Amino acid sequence: MEIAIYGKGGIGKSTVAANLSAALSQQKHRVLQIGCDPKHDSTRLLLPYGHKLTTALDYMRVTNPQDYSLNEILAAGFGGVGCVEAGGPEPGVGCAGRGIISMFELLSLFGLKERYDITLYDVLGDVVCGGFAVPIRREYADTVFIVTSGEFMALYAANNILRGIRNYDGGNKRIAGIVLNRRGINDEAERVGRFAEAIGLPIIADIPRSEAFAQAEAANKTLAEFDSDGAEAGIFRNLAENIVHGIGKYNAEPLSDDELEHIVAGTQDAQQTSPQIGVTDAVCTTVVGMTDAHTTDVNKTKAQTGTETPSKPHEQDIIDFTSPNRYLSKNVIHSEPLHGCAFNGALTMSAQIKDAVILAHAPKSCTYISYQTMSSTGRRRLFERGSLLPSSIAPNLESTDMGEPEMIFGGMEKLVGKVAEIKKQKPKAIVVVSACPAGIIGDDIDKAQDLGDAGTPVFTLRTDGNMAGDYLQGMLMCYTELARQVISRSVRPEENLVNIVFEKVISKNTADNFALIESYLRQMGVGVNCRFLCDTDYESLKNFKKAPLNLLAHRDYTGKLLEDFFSREFGSKFFDLQFPIGLSETESWLRSVAKYFGKQAAAEEIIGAHKLLYENEIEKLRRKMSGKRLMILTYNHDIDWILGAAIDAGIEIVKIGILNFSQDEGFRTKLKLPVPVEEKYDRDNRTADVKKHRPDILLTNYTSISAGDVPLADTIPMAPGVGFFTGLDMIRRWAGLLAMNLKGEWEQDERLFRKYYTR
Amino acid sequence: MSGYLESITPDSLSGIIFALEGVAGSVVLLNGPTGCKFYHSATSDNQMIRQLEFDPLNYPERWYFGQPRVPCTYLDSGDYIYGSREKIAEALKYINNNVRHDLLAIVNSPGAALIGDDLIGIAHSALGGGAVVAVETPGFSSDVCAGFETGVLALLDAMNPPKLDVRPKTVNLLGMSIYQKYYLGNLAELRRLLGLCGITVNCALCAGCEVAEIQEISSAALSVVICPEYGYGTAEYLKELYGTPYYICDGPPIGFAATEAFLCDICKAIGCDPTPAIEVIERARADAYVHISRVNSLTGLPKGVRVSVEGTYSDLYAYFKFFTEYFGMLPEAASVVCPRAALFKSKLEGLMRSYGLTDVPERDIYDAQSELVFASGATISRFKNARKKFVGIENALPGLGYIDVIPKSHYGVSGALLLVEQVLNGLMF
Repeated sequence: MEIAIYGKGGIGKSTVAANLSAALSQQKHRVLQIGCDPKHDSTRLLLPYGHKLTTALDYMRVTNPQDYSLNEILAAGFGGVGCVEAGGPEPGVGCAGRGIISMFELLSLFGLKERYDITLYDVLGDVVCGGFAVPIRREYADTVFIVTSGEFMALYAANNILRGIRNYDGGNKRIAGIVLNRRGINDEAERVGRFAEAIGLPIIADIPRSEAFAQAEAANKTLAEFDSDGAEAGIFRNLAENIVHGIGKYNAEPLSDDELEHIVAGTQDAQQTSPQIGVTDAVCTTVVGMTDAHTTDVNKTKAQTGTETPSKPHEQDIIDFTSPNRYLSKNVIHSEPLHGCAFNGALTMSAQIKDAVILAHAPKSCTYISYQTMSSTGRRRLFERGSLLPSSIAPNLESTDMGEPEMIFGGMEKLVGKVAEIKKQKPKAIVVVSACPAGIIGDDIDKAQDLGDAGTPVFTLRTDGNMAGDYLQGMLMCYTELARQVISRSVRPEENLVNIVFEKVISKNTADNFALIESYLRQMGVGVNCRFLCDTDYESLKNFKKAPLNLLAHRDYTGKLLEDFFSREFGSKFFDLQFPIGLSETESWLRSVAKYFGKQAAAEEIIGAHKLLYENEIEKLRRKMSGKRLMILTYNHDIDWILGAAIDAGIEIVKIGILNFSQDEGFRTKLKLPVPVEEKYDRDNRTADVKKHRPDILLTNYTSISAGDVPLADTIPMAPGVGFFTGLDMIRRWAGLLAMNLKGEWEQDERLFRKYYTR
Repeated sequence: MSGYLESITPDSLSGIIFALEGVAGSVVLLNGPTGCKFYHSATSDNQMIRQLEFDPLNYPERWYFGQPRVPCTYLDSGDYIYGSREKIAEALKYINNNVRHDLLAIVNSPGAALIGDDLIGIAHSALGGGAVVAVETPGFSSDVCAGFETGVLALLDAMNPPKLDVRPKTVNLLGMSIYQKYYLGNLAELRRLLGLCGITVNCALCAGCEVAEIQEISSAALSVVICPEYGYGTAEYLKELYGTPYYICDGPPIGFAATEAFLCDICKAIGCDPTPAIEVIERARADAYVHISRVNSLTGLPKGVRVSVEGTYSDLYAYFKFFTEYFGMLPEAASVVCPRAALFKSKLEGLMRSYGLTDVPERDIYDAQSELVFASGATISRFKNARKKFVGIENALPGLGYIDVIPKSHYGVSGALLLVEQVLNGLMF
């Protein structure tokens, strides 16, 4: 059972919540209280005097996600009540509502509320934005209490809360009633009574003004602890019993502002259509005879789930990051500055499903920037080679174009309308991805899944811009979430088929690489089932399991995560070599694939022809290149293809520096290298290293005039081409340039650029 | 699936950033995530080259992330909750102490705008005063041209240029942005032609101008609004503040006749003689004539060729007027970008009405049967992907990837000649 307690700021919600939690715990229930207010004092009365509970948001701010530990933010208070405080920014800065969303995401990772019978959310005064509405979203509170006094502003806030709840509820009934916390104003019970009657809710508890509260608070205790026999403690005991034994629930039927004013002033009768509810001076009024009320019985729920009470919370308090639910990018794991945004990564990968429409729930700028990321390579390829790659040139990307009104009033209406509009095109699927503003204002895009049907299912990726992480994290979310949602687990494997997994979709040579690999496979009688996720379609994705073997295009950090994911969740079998680059890798790769499919003869034929060519050519190059000195500074973490060819050509490798790269981690080699590899290379050492090692060839991802005077500076591609000759081709190029000492006259004109470049 | 996606165009955030990046010596700090930064840095750097090479090792990782332009505060989820004050202050101090600049600007990303940080207050407390341009609201999904004017006006407000004596025969050029594909060539061509008439360009605002030129903006005798969608509001602002009169071109000066009218009108307004420029125009028309005549004698073209154009209302008006009245081509479809900037909407509709082609602005460019399409590289490639038979000619960003070493123009005499060349080479016969 999850209970949200709402009411105007300062009305006494935290006191009510803490006393109710304590009363529930006395009835042997495992209770969790979550304070959803930046001032983080909701659980103060439950905890020992002076206990400093680290707020969830402060904790997240300074802690690496891999080190998250529940013990740091959860404390056991009176009666074993679990206490958590959201916390948040200082008044006037930041976005506290977004903080609430982030805290809920963290608690969900820990599976915290599943460890308790009853969760109480003590929420900020009013449903001011999407963030503070999280506890009343349908997946959270199933029971809502509204705390009010007889003051107009308290009733006004209560009415506003009803409006917020109505926005989320549809036909669901979740409001249990009003808790009247008296302030001692004139006509108080009557005012609240008229209001309650008009909105059709019972007054579920009537709390008098009493010194007992002040005394208990002064002792930093709840009433249950301070004076459990007192009448005031009895109010909460009765309320707790009512909750546990099943309590009526009602729709949110807020009043208009005019109606509210008249009703509170007593100048208008309450709605005659509303249930008649008596206001009494009784300590607690449980409303009976309301036949349309839904009830929840905690004991029954527990009996059904077989849980016993009370018991200790689970021992598990560390998030299992090896869990298949947690595939994190390097940036996210190390809390590094985020490179790009998850929104962009998820859009780019989703758009590879050619017959789906990808809907960005975002302002235009976010969609446009992502469109440029995914289409610029395709446009250039069209220009250079006339080749048409649909998912690059014409991604099926649309946008809700969130504007100022959506930022203020929420964007769900626009999202729903856009999904309906897209469905008319009859795409095979719709994938909705959210940008930062959607996440900040708290749009719940997962609701859009309900708009799908068998013809056009709707999938959602709640990236919330970069709030889920960097570009790579968005890619990972897309890979794993779409796989979970789309791939049919009942499909049986068929012979001689493979899936290709993790091609780099924005590399210029992806299409050529695939064509070469496909031609090798074809020569061995093996077909490609699904390219995950690259230039594919919905049916191929759905039938992913048809292929008994999966080939990774890149076995880097991301590739290995995907291998882990598919192996765990789908029992998929992965070939342990990535797409081969250079002679040695291509030879091994072909032999291994051939062995798996029993096609060795075909593979040997391919290898024999290519190896002969390689050896002839490298022999010629060795005469020219032997003894030349090579220095490599690169973002690439896997460069055996060029190192192997360089060694074959007799080149001396004098320095290898690997730069930090957001997309990869851990230098990999199968070669016995003549020099140590310096990982996390410090860019500031470049000039000194060039001077020290005096390379003939300096190989970097970007050539630079500031690298110093070397005979040959060349660039190493971020994603090199596959096949036997990748390294050989590069060395042939160097040999040509070094033999003729070709540098290019233009290089001398830098001084002219500096002199004249003032246009 | 979807044929032509009008929604995939930049919005006001890009307009603001490109306006401020259009000031030589500016540093525009984006208060937002790196995801909002990369495209803007790459585009600004391509359009207004200020760096020799791309080597990311030359640019600090933090704030610049290996790119030469548009440093950013790399906001993450924590910053959305707690605010970005510290990161902004840290970045500003770094830039102020380490990066040469004449102007400092801060622009909020859409997400950052929702936090509500006081950009100016933070800047003042970090830097201890001085003019900083701050744009807190990037105008969620508003048109790119609206964003451009937001950026320009924020710049003028922050710099507060003094009122100076008017220098005769000088003009400011308004409504030109580095986001416009051929802005550099267009600007050079307008300077050349105005120069032939004895007119000096005082300030081409936010199109590569210097801070010192902005300081003297009030000394121009006339503001000339090249693209009204990008410059009308600025012209009004300058008139109100400094009394500078303005002239709104009848659409950008695309084509021989439009260029001649442009020069004559400006000369008349500030008392100059357009004769030398008109002679240049006449010679160019003669050059064009011989080429068109030869093709026409073989093929009957370019008359009757169906042409579609993508652009703002004023772009569409100017291109179609030239294509129809000079070449005798037939307008097929007009696709409007920035439809909310509707100053020239009625002029375009009136033009089409005068041709008896009222359905042209309504027709979907994707479904139209065009032989020539003037559009961005994104639209052209999309149509190619649909295997349409047409010739695409780029008139806007993003491009297909051609690197222009010689600055090209679609404005003025050079522009008209280039368009003649592009049309003749684009004919299918």
